[in-house]
Amino acid sequence: MARERISQADEWQAWAQRYDIEGGVRTFESGLTVKVFFGALFVGLLMMPGSIYLSYVSGQSGAAAAPWVAVILFTELARRSFTTARRQELYMLLSLTGAAVGSGMQYRSFIWYAYFVNTPQAISYEIADKIPAWVVPAGDSVAIAERSLLHPDWLLPIGVYLITKFLGTLRFISGQYILFRLTADLERLPYPMAPITAQGATALAETTGKQETWRWQVFSIGSMAGLIWGFIYIGVPALTGVMMSQPIQILKIPWIDFTQSIEGFAPTGVFALRTDFSQMLIGFVLPFPVVMSEFVTAMFSQFILNPQILYRYEILHQWHPGLDVRATGLFNGLDFYRSYDMGKNFSLGLVGMAASIPMIFKLRSSQKKAGERGSLATPPNRGDFPLWLMGILWLIGMGGFVWLIHWMVPNFPLSFLLGFAFLYTPINSYITARTFGVLGRDLFEIPYLHEITFILSRYEEIDIWFAPLPDEDYGAGTQGWRVLELTGTTFTSNLAATLLIMPILIISGILVQHFIWQIAPIPSAQYPFVQMMWPINATHECLMKTSLRDGSSEMLQALRGDYVAAGFTSSLAIYGLLWVFKYPSMWFYGIIGGIGADPGSMVARLLGAVIGRFYMIKRFGLKRWFMFNPVLAAGFACGVGLIGMGTVAIALVSKAVIVKPF
Amino acid sequence: MERLASVIIVIGTILWFISILFLEGSWQWQMFAALILTIGIFTAHFWEELSEGKNKKTPKDDN
Repeated sequence: MARERISQADEWQAWAQRYDIEGGVRTFESGLTVKVFFGALFVGLLMMPGSIYLSYVSGQSGAAAAPWVAVILFTELARRSFTTARRQELYMLLSLTGAAVGSGMQYRSFIWYAYFVNTPQAISYEIADKIPAWVVPAGDSVAIAERSLLHPDWLLPIGVYLITKFLGTLRFISGQYILFRLTADLERLPYPMAPITAQGATALAETTGKQETWRWQVFSIGSMAGLIWGFIYIGVPALTGVMMSQPIQILKIPWIDFTQSIEGFAPTGVFALRTDFSQMLIGFVLPFPVVMSEFVTAMFSQFILNPQILYRYEILHQWHPGLDVRATGLFNGLDFYRSYDMGKNFSLGLVGMAASIPMIFKLRSSQKKAGERGSLATPPNRGDFPLWLMGILWLIGMGGFVWLIHWMVPNFPLSFLLGFAFLYTPINSYITARTFGVLGRDLFEIPYLHEITFILSRYEEIDIWFAPLPDEDYGAGTQGWRVLELTGTTFTSNLAATLLIMPILIISGILVQHFIWQIAPIPSAQYPFVQMMWPINATHECLMKTSLRDGSSEMLQALRGDYVAAGFTSSLAIYGLLWVFKYPSMWFYGIIGGIGADPGSMVARLLGAVIGRFYMIKRFGLKRWFMFNPVLAAGFACGVGLIGMGTVAIALVSKAVIVKPF
Repeated sequence: MERLASVIIVIGTILWFISILFLEGSWQWQMFAALILTIGIFTAHFWEELSEGKNKKTPKDDN
């Protein structure tokens, strides 16, 4: 039987509708109250240390749990006080707690560069002594030797960071708001994925009412599963790390590497089983065709494409027996996949434009019929700002940022900075805002933009690689404003909350990061994830930062025009053939994601997708299962976060007070 | 228009295979194939979006 053709827009909208079970709210109230503010601050700051610690131990911060913990505490307090919690308050609580927990991570780059500056890689690539003082103190600084972020040597890096943070806040708030007004108010784009986020805020709001619903039950099931998994994966290594020099890992973090086991029949193939089975929850949520096609393509890549074609024809030529997943991945990347991926990314941009440009025409024609679009009038009491004021704030933020970069790298051509700031950033942001408005995701990205810029500028100093560039994208953030609108939260209350909490988080974040660095060197055996990943990341960073030096670097040599063209054209051919044979476009994103990827990293996600598709949907029905999904995932994240925070707190306290005599 | 788009895409794909198998993967030929594929894909989407819902089908709930 012939397949029926379904347009890409209809396909994606249908998926979005599966999650959209709440009607939009059109009455606006402030979400910022004193109890919300201090509740978020309390829970956020309580969980921030554990979140940073977890990110070094397991590679995942568990920060997703904190907002839910805050919401549960808040709703329970409300129930016991015989009052109710408003949807706006809960959304604000989620947002503020997330910001509070994540605030410690903003200083992670300082710890990274304090490590990087003394790595053998940075020294051998002759980068170590060329890292600017506004990035990190010198490698022999006392601040690094003593592992202290509170040393005067950090004044310049932290000062530059704070100015960047202030100017960035101005730019991002104003830029996102202007684009939101253009796309959501003027053009009335649907923002199909925004209701999913909005639903999270409302999931627990109704528990403060008189009747409990299924949401609370599902959340509890997820939480218990998360507690059990969190104890196995996070708790045991963290607690045994307190007593032993080498922590016990029931499941090896982050993966069990089978690459050397398969090299006999699949040379250049990689297979490292990722042991983080919480990825199953992502498999529940993601569309089944994406997960399945991604896994099948990854298997094909590692067991047929790499060994039987690319290795046989000596395209993958640096590999030799005995390499693990990291080294094999590095050599495969240098030989082929970096170039291929570059072409692949270009194809994503082109496919995105091909899908979105005709949609603009379609939306314009429907506007004439409905007569709903074309007005910048705002709903009453939404808490809007004058567009001219936002425009001025953006100009101040961007002007100051360009000046700051010019001060950092005075010899880099100013024209490139101005071009990025006032030409590229608005265009790029507008395209992304549109794709979020229609498809709920970003499709447009120009790969290796910085590298291309540096080649064109003929600037050869290494410091430009450490400087921020004003090539920004405010498009994704427009969805957040739409979520505010859907939850009926006034924009002014959100802005006030953001500005109020920011100074507190800036100070507390640096103190916590400093304390965690004091406990043990990062990386070290106490932090298995970073001990595994950071050395290879240092090699990647060296390759990247020296890629344009002398015009003969490994990175530059790794980029081959014919491989880039192969990535670009083959991806377009895959997309085109799927269209011709009327297969869903989601397969394309799965296939593209799977080419060259490690199938071992996808096993847990695949398991989740299969269980969801073949058991859960049959058991609960499609609509109910998609209603359960976000709440179950939130409960699981909450459970993992709770157990993680608990065990990490014990570990932190004991490491702070026990002095080992050996 | 649907058939035209399909034909262009198939021609582009065949040309790409030829460039890989018989023209030593020359990037110029590959990019020429990419140009043809791009035209085909744009044609396909314009036809899809601008055909006023004649071909509109609702995706079935099969996950």
